[in-house]
Amino acid sequence: MSDSPRLERDYRRLVALFPRAFRRESDEEILAVLMATAREGQRRAGFAESADLIKGALRVHRGPPLPRTLLIAVRLTYAGAATELAVVIILLVTLASLTSATIRAYPEFSLAEWHAVLFAHLPAVEVGAPVLLGLWVWLACANARGHRTARVAFRLVYVIIILGIAAEADAGIPVYGEGGLIATGVLLFIQLAANALIFYPSKDPLPYRPHRRLDAAQP
Amino acid sequence: MQEATFLILTALADGSQHGYGIIAQVADISGGRVRLRAGTLYAALDRLRAQKLIGVDREEIVDGRLRRYYRLTPAGTRLLAAEAARMHADAVAALTRLNLAGGEA
Repeated sequence: MSDSPRLERDYRRLVALFPRAFRRESDEEILAVLMATAREGQRRAGFAESADLIKGALRVHRGPPLPRTLLIAVRLTYAGAATELAVVIILLVTLASLTSATIRAYPEFSLAEWHAVLFAHLPAVEVGAPVLLGLWVWLACANARGHRTARVAFRLVYVIIILGIAAEADAGIPVYGEGGLIATGVLLFIQLAANALIFYPSKDPLPYRPHRRLDAAQP
Repeated sequence: MQEATFLILTALADGSQHGYGIIAQVADISGGRVRLRAGTLYAALDRLRAQKLIGVDREEIVDGRLRRYYRLTPAGTRLLAAEAARMHADAVAALTRLNLAGGEA
């Protein structure tokens, strides 16, 4: 056991790497154990114990293991985010050709109709795609952390994503042809599969974040 | 189940323990072979609480520092018993085969 203030400062810096909610409940407890297990006269945190605390902090950040169906749903959601990112990149890279292709696709359009497409339809897709990308990533992260609210959010956001994909398809399929159709199909499939898996009844309970509430035994 | 997890659950099998107590018990049970560090211990305790295999029994302040006692939940007790039975069966099978092999040699 050591009572070196310098050692305690070292330990506090390392314990600060744990998630805030975890620290709020357990930092003094970990510090007590660290000081109790320190060598007599020890004044600095050693390499091995520093590495162990960093590894422990990363594990707590990662959170408890998820039920299998939810884990697959999270991976699918990340796949959806990756597909959506590809759509965003393709949209940005081919913005000029997309505009001209849209004009070519509707030669009978008057100037007013043409403007309506360019200033209403295309910006909706250009802005909508990154928003959808953000939603995919947020849903994947929130569900990976096991937040119960994320499951509810998934159902609510589901409608927005489906509408977004439909808007992208409406603008993209006439211009990109088969590529647009495939991207739409992939996104719809991923979204439907992830949704089904998230609400698939699992015998494993959804893990909860233990430091959000104390489960002290009732006498 | 990882060895550290098994040993932590075993340390709590005969009563609640605080963090330092678990480290000492694990070292004792493993004959000094496994020496848990605080980072590993608290990451494991966090996960085990999330899985509802252990819970907080009580808290006390000793020398101005927080001491939290953990206990096995019924689910934790069941899991530990099942894992110990499985390991015992594996060990018996291994020893039986070793004895047979020794007899044939």
